[in-house]
Amino acid sequence: MTLQFKPSETFRDTFTYAKTAEDILRFPFPFPEDEYMYSVNIEPHVKGGPTAAFQAVFDIDEHYVAECRERAKVLAEDPKRCQVLPHMMAAEWDTLELIMESLAADYPEHFTLTKAGDLWTWVNRPLGLQQSFTFGKAETLPCPPFEFITRQAQGDFTLQDQREDNLFVDGGMVTTQADWSLEFDIGMTFHEWHGPVPLAHEKGVFDRALKYLMRLQCGQPVRRLNWTMTVNPRLDTSPENYPVWGPDKATVTPENVAEKVHLRVELQTLFRLPRSNAILFGIRCYLTSVADIARVPKWRRRLHRVLRDLHPDIIGYKGLPRYRQMVIDHLAPFDDGVPTSRGIAPDTDTLDAAR
Amino acid sequence: MSPAATCDVRVREIEPLAPGLKRFSFEPAHGGLFSTPPAGGHVMLTLRDGARVMKNAYSLVSPPAERARYDIIVRLVAQSRGGSAFLHHKVARGDVLEMAPPLSLFPVAATAKKHLLIGGGIGITPLLSHLPELKARGARYELHQLSVADEAAVFERLLAPFAAGAEIRVHGGGRAAFDMAGLLARQPLGTHLYVCGPRALMDAVSGTALALGWPKGKIHKESFGDTSGGLPFKAVLKRSGIEVEVGATQSLLEAMEAAGVAAPCLCRGGACGECRTPVIEGEVEHRDDFLSAEEKAAGTAIMTCVSRARGPRLVIDL
Amino acid sequence: MSDQGIKSRPKYQPIAPEPAGRHHLLVVEGAEVPGGALAEGVSPAAFEVWTVAHRSAVPGAPVMEEAAGAVRTFRSVPHLLGALQERLARERMGLRLYGAGTEPFVWDVFGIAQAAGLGRQETGFAHVGTQARRIFCVHCRAVTENVSTSIVTCSGCGASLFVRDHFSRRLAAFMGVQVDAEVPGEVPEAEELYA
Repeated sequence: MTLQFKPSETFRDTFTYAKTAEDILRFPFPFPEDEYMYSVNIEPHVKGGPTAAFQAVFDIDEHYVAECRERAKVLAEDPKRCQVLPHMMAAEWDTLELIMESLAADYPEHFTLTKAGDLWTWVNRPLGLQQSFTFGKAETLPCPPFEFITRQAQGDFTLQDQREDNLFVDGGMVTTQADWSLEFDIGMTFHEWHGPVPLAHEKGVFDRALKYLMRLQCGQPVRRLNWTMTVNPRLDTSPENYPVWGPDKATVTPENVAEKVHLRVELQTLFRLPRSNAILFGIRCYLTSVADIARVPKWRRRLHRVLRDLHPDIIGYKGLPRYRQMVIDHLAPFDDGVPTSRGIAPDTDTLDAAR
Repeated sequence: MSPAATCDVRVREIEPLAPGLKRFSFEPAHGGLFSTPPAGGHVMLTLRDGARVMKNAYSLVSPPAERARYDIIVRLVAQSRGGSAFLHHKVARGDVLEMAPPLSLFPVAATAKKHLLIGGGIGITPLLSHLPELKARGARYELHQLSVADEAAVFERLLAPFAAGAEIRVHGGGRAAFDMAGLLARQPLGTHLYVCGPRALMDAVSGTALALGWPKGKIHKESFGDTSGGLPFKAVLKRSGIEVEVGATQSLLEAMEAAGVAAPCLCRGGACGECRTPVIEGEVEHRDDFLSAEEKAAGTAIMTCVSRARGPRLVIDL
Repeated sequence: MSDQGIKSRPKYQPIAPEPAGRHHLLVVEGAEVPGGALAEGVSPAAFEVWTVAHRSAVPGAPVMEEAAGAVRTFRSVPHLLGALQERLARERMGLRLYGAGTEPFVWDVFGIAQAAGLGRQETGFAHVGTQARRIFCVHCRAVTENVSTSIVTCSGCGASLFVRDHFSRRLAAFMGVQVDAEVPGEVPEAEELYA
């Protein structure tokens, strides 16, 4: 696999982000069925899966360099997007070890980790970085270990401490989020953090997920997919910057809906960490425009049906009311009513022409 | 969650520490490194003695940074179910055993202002797993190890690497000369307590702490060494239509596994809750740390890895 | 929409000494233990009580001595909170801490308790007095106090903020989100909700 990075693509202002055909087909499409409701859709995070996005512990794609640059910009403007409470230092080192070892094992052409006892040397070729440091000694790195390594990974990360029969979100690197604020939520319990999500509490989804996650074991990570929609390929849809990106929603028209509106998928992964017993929560964000989704027959039929039949509370919570009907109207002519296969695989390895 | 697949490990060293006390060191049989072991973690060994298959859990006493080997310390127990006797008498350097990857059910608390560790006898082993991590964190800790007089020197030697700048004491006179209440009463706010040893010691320590106002969430217990069996009984698995004879030296879980039943389990120590099974008929002798006192009194569920029937017959929903 | 169904909103209960505790310290925002703060049948004498007189001519109170039934009076809320920090730093296991007052007060107390190593099992809080809210502007991080309406003008950036039921114990505040971010100027009428 040779990745051609596109370091100059942008996720704000000019929005030059674009996907190659391979990148469209590896999209982790989030709907295994024609309808959607909250569930405890957690499965073991093992390599392999319905698309190429599931072939590594931490997935890297053609947007890697550009996403790391976008993250650096967000942090330069708002350093509080990365915060870790002081009692989580062991979890910071656990995170650094897990991500470095996983990237070096999955992408040896891009990343190398060498160790001589506690003296580690990390080489990140796509970003042109080389760093020697002493594992366990934060002063030997240019910034704290969690920030150091998550600046070099795609997607957001949070750290959960387990105590008092609960999980507390006690740290995170959050620059590509779907409208939640680390600054506001840090220190919250699992249920408080998920407080604003509608319907799922009443269905017992969070009670069961919490019990399951508290039993999560080292070396047996799990994953799930979550989704929302975003206008323009914007990674930073934070509450902090809502006044900046909120007006985008009113710019959608029937003419531009396919290019402007993106399905935003989070490949969420959960890892129990050894020294700290914390849980690392990876929230890897993938953006694909409605126009690109429409090039896969199964996906365009299914997205149409899911959006058409979506529960009103979910439409509100995910912030879709302003343009959902335009997406449905755009996709409806391409939904011939043919049944779709179960699961999220595209069922094709070529794309239809753009429509 | 199903237990992770086992891997083959080779015995790379056996070191006698004292009469009846040996340290076993394992390495991956097919090369490479182990995963970083969790602080307070344990592994499960599958021991095959002829036709008999035993699964025993042992705390890892090697530090997290050491991934070329995993170490355990095993005490030879006179009335053991056979696991410790098998390891002590039949396992030699170079032998290959099956090991399940480590689990962490006895972790170090991140928010603790201080860590108070109390061990009794071989219950020192999970505490030995905590100490490297506490030291690496620069955490404040205090350890009291209760011991019979002639083993005190062994424990002092094992603890020596962690003694600098910390209060570590081995009480060779056992519990009699140990002021447990005084120790627990003078701990600063935010202390977490970890105790491992014979059940009587763990009950006494946690009972004393609770009486002094310690909240449950700051008292951490590792079930250890309480693997003694009990009277044999018959388990009826209603849904599967199977009857299983549970022997005197066997757990209900082990008996079901021997009968080919894929029963749920994870920790095999009555802590994680995975093997919780509804009881339809019969009285349960609860030995787990998972069910609440109310649930135990209700008698409608059993943790098959440690608990047994009080009578001759138990009907479970499995 | 006074109940937005958000689960981060704290639930409060009248205070009763937790039976497992060794010593019970109750801090209140006013000069007296407010009516409704304690559970039925519970006497203030079950606690060591710290109160706030809101005046300067109050003699000093010993903060380190433990005694159920003792009442110690402080001059102001910061005076009490500072003493509480000192006390907790010297306390031993077995203490239970309770707070009664407005939401910002009790969660400021919780923050001090948490920093001292007390967990949620060792603390209990009653919300008494005004229902007005402290609002944290998620855009500019300014805090606007004493908010009783569904929409409020941010004291920091001037945005019209919708008061979300999402509550942060760490900030002792509810979240404020710009209500007209998508279409500037589209601001609904504010309702009086949290008096």
